[in-house]
Amino acid sequence: MRTRRLETIFSSRNTFIGWIILLILLALYPQVTELSGIRLLQLTQIFIFITLASNWNLIGGMTGYVDFGHAVFFGVGAFVMGILVTQVQNYIVFAPGLSFWQALPIAGLAAMLFALLIGLPTLRLKGPYFSIAMLGTFVAMREIVRVLKDFTGGGRGLDLPPVLNRERDYYFMLVWMGLVLIAIWWIHRSEFGQSLMAIREDEVGAEMRGINTTKHKIIAFMLAAFSTGIIGGFWAFQNTYIDPDVVFIEQRTVEMVMASMLGGLGTVWGPPLGALILYVLQDVVWSRVPEGHLVVLGVLLIIIVLFVPEGILGTFKNPSSTSLGRLLRGYREEQPRPETVATE
Amino acid sequence: MVQQQPLLEGRNVTKYFGGLAAVHHVDFAVYPGEIVGLVGPNGSGKTTLFNCLSRILPINEGEIYFKGKNITHAKPYQVAHMGLARTFQVIRVYRKMTVLQNMLISRQWRGEGILKMLRPSSKATHERARQLLDFLLLGHLMHEPAGHLSGGQRRLLEIGMALMPDPDIILLDEATSGINPTLIETIKDRIRQLNRQEGKTFLLIEHNIDFISDLCSRVYVLDFGEKLAEGTPEEIKNNPAVIEAYFGAE
Repeated sequence: MRTRRLETIFSSRNTFIGWIILLILLALYPQVTELSGIRLLQLTQIFIFITLASNWNLIGGMTGYVDFGHAVFFGVGAFVMGILVTQVQNYIVFAPGLSFWQALPIAGLAAMLFALLIGLPTLRLKGPYFSIAMLGTFVAMREIVRVLKDFTGGGRGLDLPPVLNRERDYYFMLVWMGLVLIAIWWIHRSEFGQSLMAIREDEVGAEMRGINTTKHKIIAFMLAAFSTGIIGGFWAFQNTYIDPDVVFIEQRTVEMVMASMLGGLGTVWGPPLGALILYVLQDVVWSRVPEGHLVVLGVLLIIIVLFVPEGILGTFKNPSSTSLGRLLRGYREEQPRPETVATE
Repeated sequence: MVQQQPLLEGRNVTKYFGGLAAVHHVDFAVYPGEIVGLVGPNGSGKTTLFNCLSRILPINEGEIYFKGKNITHAKPYQVAHMGLARTFQVIRVYRKMTVLQNMLISRQWRGEGILKMLRPSSKATHERARQLLDFLLLGHLMHEPAGHLSGGQRRLLEIGMALMPDPDIILLDEATSGINPTLIETIKDRIRQLNRQEGKTFLLIEHNIDFISDLCSRVYVLDFGEKLAEGTPEEIKNNPAVIEAYFGAE
């Protein structure tokens, strides 16, 4: 009963309304309170975290293609932003460096195009082969960026114009996060989203039932990459400095995966919830055990996989599937298994 | 009888797995409105032939025609768009999705653009799904996850999913495997109804000879990947080569 009530509370429509209210409150927050720059920065980072996890969820959670190299699109977006803002005038005579607003959509489109080029061969692979191929793409891209010194600054990186405007950053990320969450909510309830989940569950069956699986996977991959590229571009401008080692870090992908798994793979609101919890947890752990926080996160990942593999929202939806869910429901082993409940 | 154009036709269909000929120079034809059986001992190549026909497996030699068009190199989803649907020997339903979602996602796809796909399922699709679920006695389970159904109910759901796009031909791979006798009668009854009332064509892989005899007008027999015999169920039952293939030589 208790779980049933929780399920109702977390139903997609209720949660959607809840998120809209939360977004409005967040929009008003800096106006009605005197927020410090560091607080605005922290909230902006949470928005980034939530949006990245939701982007990853589109391909990793909904479609079932666990992408271990998704941060490559963040890197492409960041470096395209950096190059367009600082390097264009060196190569095109009379062309000034582009502004943030001019460069940002190009950063997203570049990541999207890169996803198309990479996705066409890699999305033919299944399971761990795809994951490893994407990890390889990520590592290779970091080295390519390092080698292309004339454009990317190589290991020294690029300095972007220092424009410090925390409030603008806050509102930009709030709006982008809002748009991405609404888009994912919409996709989830659309036939496109349902077909992605069908691919996740059984790709051969989906193909045989008329779904052009290659097209669907590529579109999902490109949409996720576009949004991640936008965030990469934004992050580069906000950070004012990029080099391959700060942009192409494996931990970024690991965080996206962890947040999605913690909240609930393939659900709309699970990854944002997971990202929020993970960010707070990381912050707390970082401040107390700075040298060991990655160990703590590693242990957390193991706990998630063992006890709540379907994530927090997945556990509420299907309590019998996890140890935690059975505990919440007071599920007893002697009760009939769901498979035997239905009769012929 | 006026000879019609076959709805589904295989010419010299051959499929190798390494050096093993799983299907070897098989010719066959299924005409509109027929219920045709495909039988043979285990490992005779029936399911491989189904996989070739539905384009899940590429063939090494021969040609496949559907509605007069060469589909030898088509992709599975393209064949599905043309009106060929199938079920699988090992049931393939989306276990984590509800019964209704399974049906909705199996609706008629026609290669729509992304904007059209971004809409939720239409009312007409919902209505068709509900009607088919009622027809297959699954209406009361539509909101259950498909993984919670019994084996027989999953078989029925898979048949429903195959019917959703209103196909011209349905390939059923061991539709009665592991099913209790009552449910087998239900499946038989539904196939007969769909054939007589809606003119659906069926190609059935089956080990249940009574099922085949009751439903099929013609039967093909495969053995070691080759076509062993072809005829009415009675002819097949009395064919010495078929008896030998199933029970061995005296």
